[in-house]
Amino acid sequence: MAAEGGGLQIHPMDQFIVKPLFGEGPVHWYTPTNVTLWLVLAVVAIGLLMVVGTRRRAIVPSRSQSVAELMYGFIHNMVEEVAGHDGVKYFPYVMTLFLFILFANLLGLIPMSFTTTSHVAVTATLALAVFLGVTVLGLARKGVGFLAMFWVSSAPLALRPILAVIELISYFVRPVSHSIRLAGNLMAGHAVLKVFAGFASVALVSPVAIGAMTAIYALELLVSVIQAYVFTILTCVYLKDAVGDAHH
Amino acid sequence: MAEDDDAERMRALERRLSEARKAPAPGKDMMRGLSQGEAAWRMVIELATGMAVGLGIGYGLDALFGTRPLLMVVFALLGFAAGVRVMLGTARQLAEAAKRAEEEAD
Repeated sequence: MAAEGGGLQIHPMDQFIVKPLFGEGPVHWYTPTNVTLWLVLAVVAIGLLMVVGTRRRAIVPSRSQSVAELMYGFIHNMVEEVAGHDGVKYFPYVMTLFLFILFANLLGLIPMSFTTTSHVAVTATLALAVFLGVTVLGLARKGVGFLAMFWVSSAPLALRPILAVIELISYFVRPVSHSIRLAGNLMAGHAVLKVFAGFASVALVSPVAIGAMTAIYALELLVSVIQAYVFTILTCVYLKDAVGDAHH
Repeated sequence: MAEDDDAERMRALERRLSEARKAPAPGKDMMRGLSQGEAAWRMVIELATGMAVGLGIGYGLDALFGTRPLLMVVFALLGFAAGVRVMLGTARQLAEAAKRAEEEAD
């Protein structure tokens, strides 16, 4: 990628390389890597906020307790509003998802860190867990009635099999778009940051590049929170299919 | 009279709160622009993944039955239809949310 003017070094995708934490060598499924480290750090950060931050259980909350309570209330409201009253039972899972994605996104914004949610392998696991969970839950709660979702009873009989296939495919579109959206947003943003960082080494454009990086960093902060929110609210929407009333 | 004093303070607080609520939140326009961009981005992904999933299913069934490329074509079209359907669903959902927000604002 050598450009004129003394060899620009821009490797925007290098930040996503999975490396073993200790020493060199091939990455096996059990190898602790930088992904493992930052996944664990996300869990530790959540633990610090939700367990240590609220351990005094004060009636007048401290700052960290306020943040924790705010998030709890926000997600609880969202689950109740979107998934309905029956969905509140599954609030712990939704809350876990939200906190995990939010913290993974935000930790990824620390310079030199690793953004775990920029890997489809991570987000696809989360999305598949939601997909399988909702499907199993729907089948367990509604039995065969859950499959009525694919049988459009308002359409003419001849069209119904074709519509059923279309509905089935659109059901399978969910986990794919669910995971690609999160990973794609994070990866694109971080790659753009790196590209601008590369340009900052050219004295002539470095003020512009650094200004742009600052702006994009702010945007990325927003994107991190919004993507965590979107992932969570879509989980609630899918959950509604499994637990909601069948009157539509 | 401490109680009267408290009541008066509460009323003043109430007044100030209602004034603060009336004032539009700063940066709301930017948030709206961003969430619209987010919605557009979401729809595009849904459209594209619809086709990709359809194509994938068709490819798999073709490999199973040895009828390539017949099912691939059929399922790519069905996948496209599914993508459009999901996209329209998202659009409907957004419209409902916008309507609800408008009603709340009234």
